[in-house]
Amino acid sequence: MSIRATEMLRDTISAPHLGAEPRDWLALLKPRVVSLVVFTGATGLVIAPGRINPLLAAIAIFCIALGAGAAGAINMWYDRDIDAIMRRTTSRPIPAGKIEAGGALGFGIVLAVISVVLLAMATNLCAAAVLAFSIFYYAVIYTIWLKRRTPQNIVIGGAAGAFPAVIGWAAVTGHIGLLPVVLFLIVFFWTPPHFWSLSLYASTDYEKASVPMLPVVKGARHTRWNVFVYTLILFPLALSPWFLGLAGRIYGATACVLGAAFLYFAWAVLRDEQDAKGVSLSKDQPARAAFKFSILYLFLLFAAIAVDRLV
Amino acid sequence: MMTTARDKKDYAKDPMPRVEITESHWSDEQKAEFLRRRRARNFLLLAALGGFCLIIYVIAMVKLHEYGQMW
Repeated sequence: MSIRATEMLRDTISAPHLGAEPRDWLALLKPRVVSLVVFTGATGLVIAPGRINPLLAAIAIFCIALGAGAAGAINMWYDRDIDAIMRRTTSRPIPAGKIEAGGALGFGIVLAVISVVLLAMATNLCAAAVLAFSIFYYAVIYTIWLKRRTPQNIVIGGAAGAFPAVIGWAAVTGHIGLLPVVLFLIVFFWTPPHFWSLSLYASTDYEKASVPMLPVVKGARHTRWNVFVYTLILFPLALSPWFLGLAGRIYGATACVLGAAFLYFAWAVLRDEQDAKGVSLSKDQPARAAFKFSILYLFLLFAAIAVDRLV
Repeated sequence: MMTTARDKKDYAKDPMPRVEITESHWSDEQKAEFLRRRRARNFLLLAALGGFCLIIYVIAMVKLHEYGQMW
């Protein structure tokens, strides 16, 4: 083989063979998603009646983060083919050639087992069982089963992100009460408008990868209506802890203001200027704004219920 | 280095010669980078194992202190 050919081959293979850096392994855990999961899990811990040792509480939150990260790593392992096609995900460690697919899967499984075992040791079997089920739900039911089969993938799969508050509550009490179930439902109904807002302006990516997201299958107009309807359902649902006497006035007022603001953003998505096919003429600016606000909405809503309990 | 007509002909016959690429083909910079990344990974693994042991120790101490038993 000529020297030039050797040089070319060396350049081609050098990146993967040099091995991944710690930050690449960290990227496998989807740190942004984990940060929101940690927050909702911590809220579940704070609002639960009863007492837990602060050290065990910290370990429980760590386990929730580890479990969510493990599910993210397994998701990246399975979705490596479509991640390589979509512009938003090409820089992820596996499609970028920094981490081998098998390594990512092994990493995810090991972390999943460690997180569940540690949570069982630190708190109780109920919390560990819910954590184990949430990892299974995200990795298998959502990623492997639903994501590529139905445009309702995000509705059913959204439950995976709703578990942390239940886990946090169960870590303290050892059982599942009404309030964590309501919080579960809030995150469940929050996920579709949150994610469909994103998929409205990333639909070409999903179309390229043949992922049947709602805008790809049913079109942008239908998706906008769904964003609005789910936000409409979310409004009274988010107020229900107050109606049911499970939260106080601070939470009630916050949920009311945030719900109204979210409805305003969803209405803007619905009324966005569109062509005959429902494609946005404003580069989906309202959808981008709704997506950003949805993150703030959940953060503030959970902060409000935690503050309400502590005050 | 210029590619001759003969090189092109040989390359066409065997487009991807089965030559094992080993560390000996790496430049000094690539070797240094490889060693740096391997060292970082090893330290990270050591820290993770140490952290795992520490967490189990903390759980055991807290539970034994508060409840008098682990389970």
